[in-house]
Formats: sequence, structure tokens, C-alpha cells
Amino acid sequence: MAFVTYVEHDGTEHKVEVPAGDTVMQGAFNNMIEGIVAECGGGGACATCHCYVADEWIDKVGPPSEPEQQMLEFASDETRSGSRLSCQITVSDELNGLVVLLPESQF
Amino acid sequence: MTATATIDTSRIAEHVPADLVHPIGLTEGPEFLAAPHKFMADLLKTHPRIFYSPSLDPRMKDAWTVTHYEDVYFVLRHPEIFTTRGAVQFPREPDNYFDFIPLEIDPPLHHKYRGILNPMFSPKAVAELEDNIRQRANDLIDTFIYQGECEFTADFGRPLPVSIFLELMGLPQEMRDTFVSWAVGLLHSQSREIAAQSMQDIAAYLHKVIKEKTQNPDDGVISTIVHAKPNGEPLTDKEIFGFVFFLFIGGLDTVFATLNHIFLWLAENPERRQEIIDTPDNLSNVVEELLRVYSVTFSGRTLTQDYEMHGVKMKKGDHLVCVLPAANYDPNVFENPTEVNFHRPRKPILAFAGGVHSCMGAHLARLEIKVCITEFLRRIPNFQLKESTKIEYWPGGVVGPKAVPLTW
Repeated sequence: MAFVTYVEHDGTEHKVEVPAGDTVMQGAFNNMIEGIVAECGGGGACATCHCYVADEWIDKVGPPSEPEQQMLEFASDETRSGSRLSCQITVSDELNGLVVLLPESQF
Repeated sequence: MTATATIDTSRIAEHVPADLVHPIGLTEGPEFLAAPHKFMADLLKTHPRIFYSPSLDPRMKDAWTVTHYEDVYFVLRHPEIFTTRGAVQFPREPDNYFDFIPLEIDPPLHHKYRGILNPMFSPKAVAELEDNIRQRANDLIDTFIYQGECEFTADFGRPLPVSIFLELMGLPQEMRDTFVSWAVGLLHSQSREIAAQSMQDIAAYLHKVIKEKTQNPDDGVISTIVHAKPNGEPLTDKEIFGFVFFLFIGGLDTVFATLNHIFLWLAENPERRQEIIDTPDNLSNVVEELLRVYSVTFSGRTLTQDYEMHGVKMKKGDHLVCVLPAANYDPNVFENPTEVNFHRPRKPILAFAGGVHSCMGAHLARLEIKVCITEFLRRIPNFQLKESTKIEYWPGGVVGPKAVPLTW
């Protein structure tokens, strides 16, 4: 179990509990957090679950894999270091306190 | 026009309130067939938010019918409530039953199969086919450009996707005409005998191919499936067959129908053709908007539990259909939905459904459509529908015009 904070583009924060094993994308969905679309349902096939991992968490979360990096090139908002597909980040106890920022749009 | 008089209402389960029963003849009734997209778009205005539609055709399922974008997305995102098990309306022998993979598999098992092919259908992987698609489009145009006319569906719409499909699967192009006749026989023959025979022929061919790819692996999709070892274990023969056969059903008729709709629209809208030619940088949005207004298929589900949506109490075992084309006309999401506007703010369209079962071929379909529009308009910028043509639509699970005769 971990607490994950999602920060919408307008600054609104949502701090929610996400079970270990769920992805950051699922955490957003299960808590009705706007800003993540996940058109393909979490298969790493669409780039509409794009999120920016907060600076202080980037090392712990780790970089995107090669296929994920390729998908991120199709993200609608600019990508930067910390850009990840939230469906590819699996929550664990180690990520307790994780903060992710959501882009203005996924499309 | 109401068909209630011809429905045996005693077969409708007790829990379905009478005021929600509206047989609309989706995919089969005369009103639908007269103008399918207008009919489906109007449902949002003329019918309750969720209603129950008994089928006019006894072979098809009665179903809760969902037309609003938000509701469709909810259904698609919750496979634990709305399962795809048994969803493909294809008869299978009970003692030789197979699942259509990956569509009819629920998560978490679903990902085991889907993950095998996701890399081959990513935007980047699909981009490598662009030159090939362009070449095939031009080869087809070569066959009719100097005749000043063509029957688009037969001369281009049918063979183009089949060619690309064969290429992707690792099958020989010489099989193209045979595949075309099998696809037509299976999906558009209106005869159970012909459909059954086509199914047998396809099955026999695919079994042969699977054997061959087992012995001689290559880079194609079929070989990838045959040799995949998700979780370290190879797939069973039945799984391989169910996967490959599903790709056959899923990948051919849909692109065919979509291209046919689009070129019919292009034929009837000369100023818009020019607009497309004049704004090549906007092509992706053009494709997306045309996919929005001409999406061609539906998502069927079965309730795994009793569930209430917007006051409608559905029961475990009930069937449900998401009318994807209707949801793409939802005015809550797409302002002036019947307007074909290539400068809309982008939002996810439901042409390819959504959620875990969202169409794996979506990126490929988009690329095919983009290339076909570009090449056809480049070589034949001015064309029209042949005079006195009356457009008719195929009944069935993929909506499209039967013939689109063009002249230039």
C-alpha cells in the first residue's frame, strides 16, 4: 500500500491510497482523478496516461523502458525528464509518498 | 416505424421495464440500413439514455443498448462488470469450442496474449509499413486510373487492407483474391451455408499455415504468435488458432468499411477534398475526424453481476451493446457532432473502442487511411459518385456501403 499524490495541471492535489501491485494509472482511475485518459486501458499502446514524476522521485521510480520511451514520443504535451506512462509504474511500499504531476491534456 | 408487433415480448426477461423496450433493429432494420450513421446519431436524442433492444433477427442477442460517450467509456473500462467472454457473434461448435483471442479473454489473463503483439502494432512498428502501404495503394490505383471509373469497394477498399494484412501476417500476396472471397463469404454472403463453407476453408488454410510457421519461423505476426512463450510456456494449438482467426475477422472488414465510407464522403464533398489537399499538415486530424463520423462497429458485453447504471437495473447474464458510432456523435463531447470539422479540439474517439480491448490495429488503420487518402487525392483529385447511384448498406456487425461507383 502506498500514498500517491496526483497534482492536476491547475494545481489541485489528490492524495490517495493505491494498493501495492496496482499501477499509478489504476490509482487515478479508481479514485476518479481527472487528467489521465488511458485510451488503451493500460497496455502501453497509446500515450494518454502520461504523467510527470516529481523531481525528487525520478530516481526511485526509474526511467521509462525502451518501448515506453517510444510511446512517450506520441504524448500530446511536452515530455521532460520524469515523463512516464503511468500505466507502466507499479506501486510498491517503496513508492509510498510518490508525487506525480498531470499534463494539461492527454490529447 | 415500430417492430414491437413482430417481437415475441414474452421472451423478454421480467426485470426489463416495458418502457425501456425499444427494438431499434441495430445493424439489420430498414431505418438503420437507410442511413446508418444518422440513425445511430439520432438515438442519443430519440431514445432513453440506456434502453433494451430485442433483436429482430433471432440469431442475434437482445441487448441493453448504450449510446452515450461517458457510459460507453465506463463499460469499456470495467471488464470485471462487463465481460467479453463469448462476445464475438460467431457460431462455434460446442465440442470444439475456442475463444477468439485476445478479445474474449478477460484481464488479468488478457494481458498474456495482448502483450505478444503490442510491440508489432505500436505506432513506431506500424510506421515501417508506410512505404509498403503507399506502394500497394498506387499499384491498385494503376489498375483503374485510366479507365476514368472504378467500383471503389471492389477495386480498392477490399484489396488494399487485405494486402497489408497478408504482408503483416507473413502470408503470400498470391493469396489475396482467395482471402477476399473468403472474407466476403464469411461476412457478407447472407447465406449460412456459404459462411460455414468459408469458415471451414479459412480454418483449413490457417491450420496449414500454423504448421508451416512452426517449422519455418519468420518476422510476421502468425509466426510471432506461434513461437510466443508468454510466461515461459508456448500457446496451445487452440489458442494459436483462436488468435490468428480473430485477427482475420477483426482486421479486414473494418478497414474496408471505413475506407468505403470515407471515399463516398470525399466523392460527394469536392470543396472538402480541396481543403484536405491544401492542408497536408492537418492530415492526422482529418483522419481522426473521419474516423469519428464513420466508425463502423460495436462492442458487445455480458454482465458478470447485477449492476445499475443511471437508474437502469441490469442483471447478471444480460447482454449489452455499446453503439460506438453513436457515442462518437455525443454532443456533450463533440460540439455540433454531425459537422465534419477538421479543427476540433482533440478528444479520444471511440472508433477503436477503448480500455484493455481497444483495437490493437488502431495505429495501423490510421496509417492505412492516411496513406490511401493522400495517394488517391494526389493522383485522382477530382472524382464523383456515378450518376443515379443509390447507396445501400450491408446489414451486420460492420457498417458499410455495398458499392461506391466513382467516375472522373
